[in-house]
Amino acid sequence: MSVVERTEDAAISRPKAVARRLRGPKWFLEMGWRHVVAICACLFALFPIAYVVSAAFNADQSLGGSSLIPRHVTLENFRAIFRTSQPAGSEFLPAHYVRWFLNSMLIAGATAVATVILGALAAYAFSRFRFKGRRFGMLALLLIQMFPQLLAVVAIYLIVLRVGDVFPVIGLNKPTALIVVYLGGAMGVNTWLMKGFFDTIPSELDESARVDGATPAQIFWGIILPLATPVLAVIALISFITTLNEYVIASVILQTTQKQTLPLGLYQYIDQQFGKHWGPFAAGVLLAAIPAALLFTFLQRYIVQGLTAGAVKG
Amino acid sequence: MSRAPVPTQPASRSTAAAVGALPSRLIATFSGPVGFALKIALLSIVNALSVWSLTTLASRDKWVPFIVLALATLAIDGIYLMRRAFPLKFLIPGTIFLLGFQVIPVLYTVEVAFTNYSTGHVLEKNEAITGIQGAALNQPENGRTYSMAPARDANGKLVLVLVDDEGGRAYVGTPDGLEPIPSSAIRRDADGAIVSAKGYRLLKGSELFGLDKQITALTIPTSGQKAIRAEGLDTAIELEPVLRYDRAHDQFVRIKDGVVFRDNDRGSFVSAGGQELEPGWKTGVGLKNFSRMIHNPLVRGPFLRVFVWTFVFASVVVLLSFSLGLFLAITLDKKGMGLQRLYRSLLVIPYAVPGFLSLLVWQGLLNDDFGVVNRGILHAHIPWLFDPNWAKVSVILVSLWLTFPYFFLVSLGALQSIPSELTEAAKVDGAGAWQLFRKVTLPLLLIAVAPLMIASFAFNFNNFNNIYLLTGGGPATDQPIAGSTDILISYTWKLAFAAGKGADYGLASAVAIVIFFIVAAISTIGFARTRVLENVA
Repeated sequence: MSVVERTEDAAISRPKAVARRLRGPKWFLEMGWRHVVAICACLFALFPIAYVVSAAFNADQSLGGSSLIPRHVTLENFRAIFRTSQPAGSEFLPAHYVRWFLNSMLIAGATAVATVILGALAAYAFSRFRFKGRRFGMLALLLIQMFPQLLAVVAIYLIVLRVGDVFPVIGLNKPTALIVVYLGGAMGVNTWLMKGFFDTIPSELDESARVDGATPAQIFWGIILPLATPVLAVIALISFITTLNEYVIASVILQTTQKQTLPLGLYQYIDQQFGKHWGPFAAGVLLAAIPAALLFTFLQRYIVQGLTAGAVKG
Repeated sequence: MSRAPVPTQPASRSTAAAVGALPSRLIATFSGPVGFALKIALLSIVNALSVWSLTTLASRDKWVPFIVLALATLAIDGIYLMRRAFPLKFLIPGTIFLLGFQVIPVLYTVEVAFTNYSTGHVLEKNEAITGIQGAALNQPENGRTYSMAPARDANGKLVLVLVDDEGGRAYVGTPDGLEPIPSSAIRRDADGAIVSAKGYRLLKGSELFGLDKQITALTIPTSGQKAIRAEGLDTAIELEPVLRYDRAHDQFVRIKDGVVFRDNDRGSFVSAGGQELEPGWKTGVGLKNFSRMIHNPLVRGPFLRVFVWTFVFASVVVLLSFSLGLFLAITLDKKGMGLQRLYRSLLVIPYAVPGFLSLLVWQGLLNDDFGVVNRGILHAHIPWLFDPNWAKVSVILVSLWLTFPYFFLVSLGALQSIPSELTEAAKVDGAGAWQLFRKVTLPLLLIAVAPLMIASFAFNFNNFNNIYLLTGGGPATDQPIAGSTDILISYTWKLAFAAGKGADYGLASAVAIVIFFIVAAISTIGFARTRVLENVA
């Protein structure tokens, strides 16, 4: 994957001196059109975001009143989504934004952390042990993963329905149930990615620790995990965002408004309230997008490597 | 999510050396009593959870899961308490979840796909027979009537205190049957209503109304398949069966006219005239769900249309996104171009925002009356989401917006890894810009990017969000369930969970299996290209 390795340095570092300054039409043919294309592409990429930012601060809350530059800047939209009671004389249904946000963070956070741990444990076994069924195990992971959980949603629903009869903790409408279901997909690709990375950590490190009397568990927690931090962070982030985006399984397990996650909640909210409450909706979108976008930017370098290795973010 | 795995970047050796001092300290922390205590603590939690689950299972008489769980817990304890280093110790945690929520659901999907599991066919056969018997009761002419008072007995169980309107004899009715009690135990007021019953607490007021449903559902069997049921809150009537179940021939007979309802092997009792008794039950139907996709016009129509559109959607999105991404990458990959870093960061932003948020925002931007695309930019009135064709355009356009940054990043990386000697040599040989691109750059680029395109195709093939969060699969068509932009996965979901006429889990699972085979075929091609399997050695 040396393909992407060079992206950062090569694409961005500018040559020390441009041989000669191009001017006029020649400059345009060589360079200028590139700027025109880049600017057009940036406009295409950014205009929806610009409108959301503007709508979030716009005093006119309706969709019809939104514009690129807000006529009156206000924080009222942000206040509106944190308000849980209905202001007098307003039709604004208290959206359960805060609750959806927390539900989403809890479910996606727990899933991401547990996914990394489960995946790393398995990857360590595949990377450092030689045992019967190792090859079969890795191939099995690959094959099982070809049948995404998404496709088994009917079966998952029926199973959770029946298990919940006996154990309500992992029954319908329980976030724990959803997390546990998501963890079913924790192995698979993640294990492959991490195993690939673990393989590159020199085994002399393990050897010397073993000579000092360290057990495999100590080597795993003490040596492998700290050295694999970048790949763990990327997998955690990809898992976090994938879980955050997940609609199908969440929609059949979480059934009441209070228990739902952001995608489910906001989807229903705009279904009913779109035209009138575009402002508060935009404020909600902005608040939800910022943490994920910041994390993404922060880890971008590593993510690009992961992406090239075949992970597709939802 | 569909991904084509390939090993990542090697860990750089210098970092390994730099952190070399850290492990020894960490090992010290996790070794000895602390590590052992942690292990025992975790094992204790697992055992506590397991014992609690075992008692629950035992109390419900679920003995098969009980035995499985008990054996699994013993095995886990054994493995983790052994001193030997076992790969299993590292594989078990993930495998438990993998089995429970990936493997079993997949197997169950296959099972359901061969049944008629759907609304009206959720019970087992014996439950359905009981259900039919319970539902098919009728009040006979001159049937007995009772004064009734719902009450709770000494154990707090709901019972009906009954007084026969003709003989004046008193009974207590429970789901087990009718039990006589001395009439002296009961006091009635002038209208004949029961005021009190010795040993029973009569229900009054809101408690009574709150139990409305349970009271109506309470059926008290009497002699000869007859039963007593509440009619309102103060009278009860004796009902007699309309149908008689003939166990020997496994059929129902309508007592009035002798019409026979036979098991039709598809989960229902049906008369010769085609009348069906409800409820039906769950039963195997072989390949019927699959053959419905081909032979039943009501299923075939929407299925084929959705099937074709799924392919069109996924391939157009991948090709357009790749083309745009590559074009931008080529444009920006120019030595000496200013602002490169800025353009690059800006173009990646659509990819950094969680997709569901962007999709919902686009739904607003494309609103035909108020959305900024029509109102602010085009000054037109295009029905982006409400016309079948425009909705398809919108879905593709928005998916392009979401996907092109990925291919931009990937292509940029791939372009820069092409050795400049190759392109220089081609130029020296007199290749034009287009020739250079077609014959040198593109083939080299595709080696790296083609597997990713296949992975992206497989992903978009099941991209429920891009369809559902934008158009909801709509606008509706004249065909049942499937809207104009529904892809197979959203169609499956609607079949099972959102259809007005009831859920068809069997058909939904069958469609899921069809999707699996398509995606598996595509992924296999992808794996073959990335030669990922060589890595297993």
